[in-house]
Amino acid sequence: MAARDRVWEVFRQEAEGDPMIHGGSVKAPDEELATHYAREFYGRRQESERLWIVPREAITELDDPDLLKPPFDRSFKRPGGFLIKHKLEAAKTRAGTAGSGEAEETAE
Amino acid sequence: MSELDKVTRACLAELLLALADDEFVLGFWDSEWTGIAPILEEDVAMSSVSQDEIGHAKAFYELLAGLTGENADEIAFGRPPEAYRHAALMNHARNDWAFTIARRYLYETADALRLESLAGSSHEPLANLAVKMRREETYHLLHFDLWLRRLAEGGEDSRQRLSAMLERLWPDAQAVFAPLDGEACLLAAGILPESLESLRARWLERVVPRLEELGLPVPTAAQRAAKPRTDGRTQRTADFTWLHGEFTTVSGSEAGATW
Repeated sequence: MAARDRVWEVFRQEAEGDPMIHGGSVKAPDEELATHYAREFYGRRQESERLWIVPREAITELDDPDLLKPPFDRSFKRPGGFLIKHKLEAAKTRAGTAGSGEAEETAE
Repeated sequence: MSELDKVTRACLAELLLALADDEFVLGFWDSEWTGIAPILEEDVAMSSVSQDEIGHAKAFYELLAGLTGENADEIAFGRPPEAYRHAALMNHARNDWAFTIARRYLYETADALRLESLAGSSHEPLANLAVKMRREETYHLLHFDLWLRRLAEGGEDSRQRLSAMLERLWPDAQAVFAPLDGEACLLAAGILPESLESLRARWLERVVPRLEELGLPVPTAAQRAAKPRTDGRTQRTADFTWLHGEFTTVSGSEAGATW
């Protein structure tokens, strides 16, 4: 059986509405057994609301450092350093929802 | 629910003990695959399913203990081998994977029907328990049907081994529906909504077409017509005596200890 085994990546959701988070992987020859094993490995203690079971070969991987970690300074693409508190307050006043208490922090 | 009279209580106790012992003994046999199942993933799955059965046994023992005023642990571990009431199907050692799958398939299909029926029991605590267990047993049934198919379609060797084990276990599988002393009283009280023989007939209607579909051996007409042996839940084997020694090692090491 080992020769025909495939790797299946398992994603789990802990509570309704939570994002799916990678839990790990199982080996199984097909989707049916992969589903059973994912259930045993990532759901038998009632710790998951939902599982996604994905054959590893269906995943498109991007790990090219030229694309992900280019050598130039990219700090200007991060939101840090921009003060938006006053702009937000002004926008809320215009929209008539001032004082809702949300999103009033300075962005990182 | 009205208070049960003394006779009905004794009949119910007999039924609960049979249900509990089936799950308990099978759970122990199959837990022996832990560490040596054919693949790592199946090792975890088999161990988990075996734990489920021990959990179901616990629920039945507790229901029984509540009825008789005994202690559930004492019932589970405190009896001599000859006092256990599991069906003869659970009398045999774990053996190989084909044996395990054949036994599990026969047991899970029988247990599924039994729980379906008990969900309609007039004894509410038992009916509620059956409803709860069915949810978990659905997965067990799926898992062992899947393995039955895989071994049936997995080449000549696995098919032959599976076929031989199914033929060997067929008579003992009938014992899941072996008559109980108190069956008439359980039927009269509605605790058993249906006779065990009628359940066995419905089980055959489900199992035989599946085995035929997979090209596996099916029981002969004579085998189907033969009623389960009356000693199907009382006959004990050397295999079981050995297992009993294993599962009572800890509880027997110091009588009355609190763990």
